[in-house]
Amino acid sequence: MKNLKLYHIPIIYMILYAIALLATGVWLFLLSQGLAGSELFATFSKIVKSPASKSLHNFIEVATPHIFAIGILIFVVAHFMLFSTKVSQKFSLRISITLFIVAFLNIAAYLLIIFGVVVSGWVKLLTLGLFVLLFLVLLGMVAFSL
Amino acid sequence: MKFLVTKDLAYSTLLKNLIVGVCIALFFYFILDIILHGYVVGFEFQDIFATLYGNEEEFIEPILIDSLLLQVHIDLFMSLLAVMMIASIYIRLFSTKKMTKWLVHILFLLSLMSPITLMVAYLSSQIFAFVWISSFLLGHLLAMIMTVMIVKKLWLK
Repeated sequence: MKNLKLYHIPIIYMILYAIALLATGVWLFLLSQGLAGSELFATFSKIVKSPASKSLHNFIEVATPHIFAIGILIFVVAHFMLFSTKVSQKFSLRISITLFIVAFLNIAAYLLIIFGVVVSGWVKLLTLGLFVLLFLVLLGMVAFSL
Repeated sequence: MKFLVTKDLAYSTLLKNLIVGVCIALFFYFILDIILHGYVVGFEFQDIFATLYGNEEEFIEPILIDSLLLQVHIDLFMSLLAVMMIASIYIRLFSTKKMTKWLVHILFLLSLMSPITLMVAYLSSQIFAFVWISSFLLGHLLAMIMTVMIVKKLWLK
């Protein structure tokens, strides 16, 4: 295949897009928790103490597009690791599967709050932080493989 | 994207028609996306400024940051998928042309700039609203031209 290097361009921009998506996603979540009216650390402590209440309707409204979009995005980003000669496929597989599990837990975390299983929002914060971190690791792996 | 770079499928009629189909769908997606943004943000400069910054004389409140950020978040996801598909197909078909590299760069830069400048325009000044309009329209126009070029190349093959 001639000019295979040209395919690096969409991959590089995909990494930038994914970072922008993660940033706007986290920003949107923090806004929904009252970031506009308080500072960042005050918002974090508010989420841990008493996360914003949501109905099951609100949860489904947010979870439905996210479970589809996150699934697609992890697949699209992770499938580039098939062509990597610098990172082993075993490691890529581990990261990808963990990312799918953490993404699912992150989306489902609010169910625990809605049904009163947990009062604190630390589960949501922890899974969100882990998801962002793992996604950045995966993006780094793709960038490193170029 | 492996299926797009596999040589075995270079002469497949099914793949050719599938690519034509997806390009036609994406062409109409870009037209409808311009109209959708016209309804959400505004078709004219006055409407766009009123949406972003409000209008005291007409008692219009500026759009809430949550609503605009959600639109930007959705735009980023949609344009990532659409532009990635167009760029991948375009590179496969026009890889020997020198212009390809620059066209793909411009397409991605305009598509990425557009949602970001919309948010910057809301948070800062009207100048960025002009940058948003330019990058949004030019990005969509370029994507549409590239889909037409792909369809033309495949149909004339």
